[in-house]
Amino acid sequence: MHIPDGLMAPVVSLIGWIEFLVVFAAILLLSGKKIKEKNLPRVAILSAGIFVAQMLNFPIGGGTTGHLVGGALFAMICGPAIAIIGMTVVLLVQGLMFGDGGITALGLNAINMAIIAPLIGWGVYSLLNGLSAKKTVPGKAVKGIIVGAAAWASVFVAAAACAGELAVSYAVSSGTFGIAATVAVPAMLGVHAIIGVGEALISAGVMLYLWSVSPGSITTIDKRAKALPGWKGVLSGTTARAVTAILIVFALTLPLYFLYASQGRDGLEKTMQDAGTAGEKPLISTPFSYGQNYFSALFAGILGFLAVALGAAGILRLARMRTTRETGP
Amino acid sequence: MTFANIGSHGGDGLDEYAGDVWFGKLDARAKLVGIFTFVVISAVLTNMELVLISLTVALALLVASRLPLTHIAKMYMAAVPFILFASVSVFLFSGWERGIEMWMRTSACVLPLLVLAAGTETFDLFAGLRRLRVPAVITTLLMLTQRYILLLSEELSRMTTARRARGFKGARNLTDRYGLKVLAFTAGMVLVRSFQRADDIYEGLKCKGFDKEMTPWRRSSIAINDVLLATGLAAVAAVLLTVQLGVIA
Amino acid sequence: MKPLEIVDVGFAYEDGTVALRNLSLSIGSGEKVAVIGPNGAGKSTLLHLIAGFRTPFSGQVVIEGRKLDDSNADDLRRHVGLLFQDPDDQIFMPTVEEDVAFGPRNLGLDDIEGRVARAMKGSAVEHLAKRKPHRLSYGMKKRVAIAGILAMDPAILLLDEPTSGLDPRSRADLIRLLKGMDRTMLIATHDLEAAAEIADRAIVLNIGRLMEGTMREVVMAGDLMQDAGLELPPISKLFRVLESMGYPVDDLPASLDQAVEQLTRVMDRTGKHAHAHIHEHVHNGLEHDHEHPKATAVGHQPRDEK
Repeated sequence: MHIPDGLMAPVVSLIGWIEFLVVFAAILLLSGKKIKEKNLPRVAILSAGIFVAQMLNFPIGGGTTGHLVGGALFAMICGPAIAIIGMTVVLLVQGLMFGDGGITALGLNAINMAIIAPLIGWGVYSLLNGLSAKKTVPGKAVKGIIVGAAAWASVFVAAAACAGELAVSYAVSSGTFGIAATVAVPAMLGVHAIIGVGEALISAGVMLYLWSVSPGSITTIDKRAKALPGWKGVLSGTTARAVTAILIVFALTLPLYFLYASQGRDGLEKTMQDAGTAGEKPLISTPFSYGQNYFSALFAGILGFLAVALGAAGILRLARMRTTRETGP
Repeated sequence: MTFANIGSHGGDGLDEYAGDVWFGKLDARAKLVGIFTFVVISAVLTNMELVLISLTVALALLVASRLPLTHIAKMYMAAVPFILFASVSVFLFSGWERGIEMWMRTSACVLPLLVLAAGTETFDLFAGLRRLRVPAVITTLLMLTQRYILLLSEELSRMTTARRARGFKGARNLTDRYGLKVLAFTAGMVLVRSFQRADDIYEGLKCKGFDKEMTPWRRSSIAINDVLLATGLAAVAAVLLTVQLGVIA
Repeated sequence: MKPLEIVDVGFAYEDGTVALRNLSLSIGSGEKVAVIGPNGAGKSTLLHLIAGFRTPFSGQVVIEGRKLDDSNADDLRRHVGLLFQDPDDQIFMPTVEEDVAFGPRNLGLDDIEGRVARAMKGSAVEHLAKRKPHRLSYGMKKRVAIAGILAMDPAILLLDEPTSGLDPRSRADLIRLLKGMDRTMLIATHDLEAAAEIADRAIVLNIGRLMEGTMREVVMAGDLMQDAGLELPPISKLFRVLESMGYPVDDLPASLDQAVEQLTRVMDRTGKHAHAHIHEHVHNGLEHDHEHPKATAVGHQPRDEK
């Protein structure tokens, strides 16, 4: 989903760039220690590895092929911070070496594929690992499913974010830029739901291969969270990681939502007017009300899902803490 | 899409043409500044005439660069899905004019970037970015990554050939469990080899006194051609922008 | 001041495996010494240790009079030119000349032009200056890597299996190149013939030092070689067979040059010349008596028959 220039509304691209720079700078500062000289070749070669792995095409029906995004895989191998930096490097290399992906759109592309995808992948991976690890050591099949779910989610949410950006661009610019929500959302989500399957399968296969061949190379092996009492336990555990990831992603989508809320409706109304008064009748007179509601519904849905997920995870965690303490030595 | 380009015989990637054309010999910094300015401004144009002018300039740049057109066309085809998707949808919702405008605008932005990519040695591009004050962490990562993409893609094509020699033709579809397994294992092997080499490469760098940066020895300097290109493109962009803003205001 | 002195060095990996034990070695200026041993003997580890990449180690490593430790490893490394087994591990830049200049530039040395030119000449790669390294053959890549090291003008070259992976012609070219270089070298290899041609001295290593001596002495210690899992070069084996047939052999030659030199020496000493003839004979019981027809060797004119 490399977006070219000229597609998104300028204000959306600008927001994308600002968000990307803020997050990237924050990551560089926070993991400044990790990016020691010694790690540069490692990150570079992993980026090169993901880049090359992206070249593996798999057919997704209808004669088209999809390819690996790799954000989730990157994060599962070496954590989200390195993954964010590495995926950004991959995007830059793709853009500068092949002209794949635009420069005004780089902010948005980076947010989707270099920030959201790794974060979601890592968050879901942590969450599911945390949930499953308590009972017994997870077998290969379970591990594979966990990785697959994380990878699929990363592609799907990234595609959703992309669809959101397209839809907001459309709404805000009165139809000059972007793609209407009624088309963008189903198209992006539909195609990427299928691509996500390929990503899930390949990511699972790769992780299983790594686990069996060279487990030492994976640095985010989830350690059983030390059972610290009370809040500390909740914050340091795998659930906390998942929550952090989802919160960051959610925060990234907020500016666009506000943009839509403030300008989008006007923009959509204007498009309706233009469509009515323009000499050429558009082929489809969109049920704009449907588009508006769909869009709002999408956001409401995401909010609701997040609230429920966070709440459930937090409660589960606290409950488990209590039981372990009760059944303690 | 990129696989065909990197894996193709006799090509080390796309900038094999860069050395042959006059465009390739220009200073990377000038190209970066000129083309980036032009693309950023072309991306915000909404007036049909302005978009048309910008597309014409982009095509002129393409032709003037003397880069092989079939090559650029192939690269362009890779971007087509999104462009087509956007243009058709805009067409369906807002009519002919807007649809074509979308196509022209996106193409006017994509083409100069393709010219930049194909017409410049990638390493020089990264070195140019560094000289334009992009942080060293990023440019060094870019240079190292590019160096190792070449290495790993050679390994990948060797593995692919070996697989093909054993009759593997690629996964048929997403339900082809065996095919996908092979793909996943290939990807896994590429990654494992990457890890093993990373530490060796670090030692190799330290043996040559590497200290965070990979600055090239031969440094190009700005010549009149560079100035002309950069200012030419920037001037066109500035004019287009003023008109565009005037239209909005 | 010797370029390199190693005193009682030992090294073990994190998991406890011992890689080197009680190793001592001294290399004088201009000497070429080979470290011979089978795979896994620790030759590579030794070279990387000298380059300051394997710490902590026991014992002392003294490079040009300075003792190696964590604090000066980066600094001392510039005096030690480590050539990796895989040239791709140390070639980074997009053209050959850029890569050769990479080292000197990072070290802030002067006269980059001159250094690069001399290094490329010394490694016979001047004609490749503007080429892209990753498109070169393996043998050429090795030469480029060597040039990159030479450009930094190290006190001693550490060569890790320089002839491995090369086709016969490239190998011969490389051996000739290294032989002709007037530099101090420590060559880790299991290619005995190459070692014999290039090096004056050798130590046989298998975690600990098994023996040290001239190449000739090493080659003569047949049992030791076998225990160390090393195969004698073909020419040595041939001379072993000749020796058992009564041919006077002072030392076992290890290379063709040494063999020719031996042959000439024997001929000069005995004032004789070589014959080669084939005859038929019949064995009668325990004693046999046969006459040689006075045949002359193929292509050889006996001196007294002019």
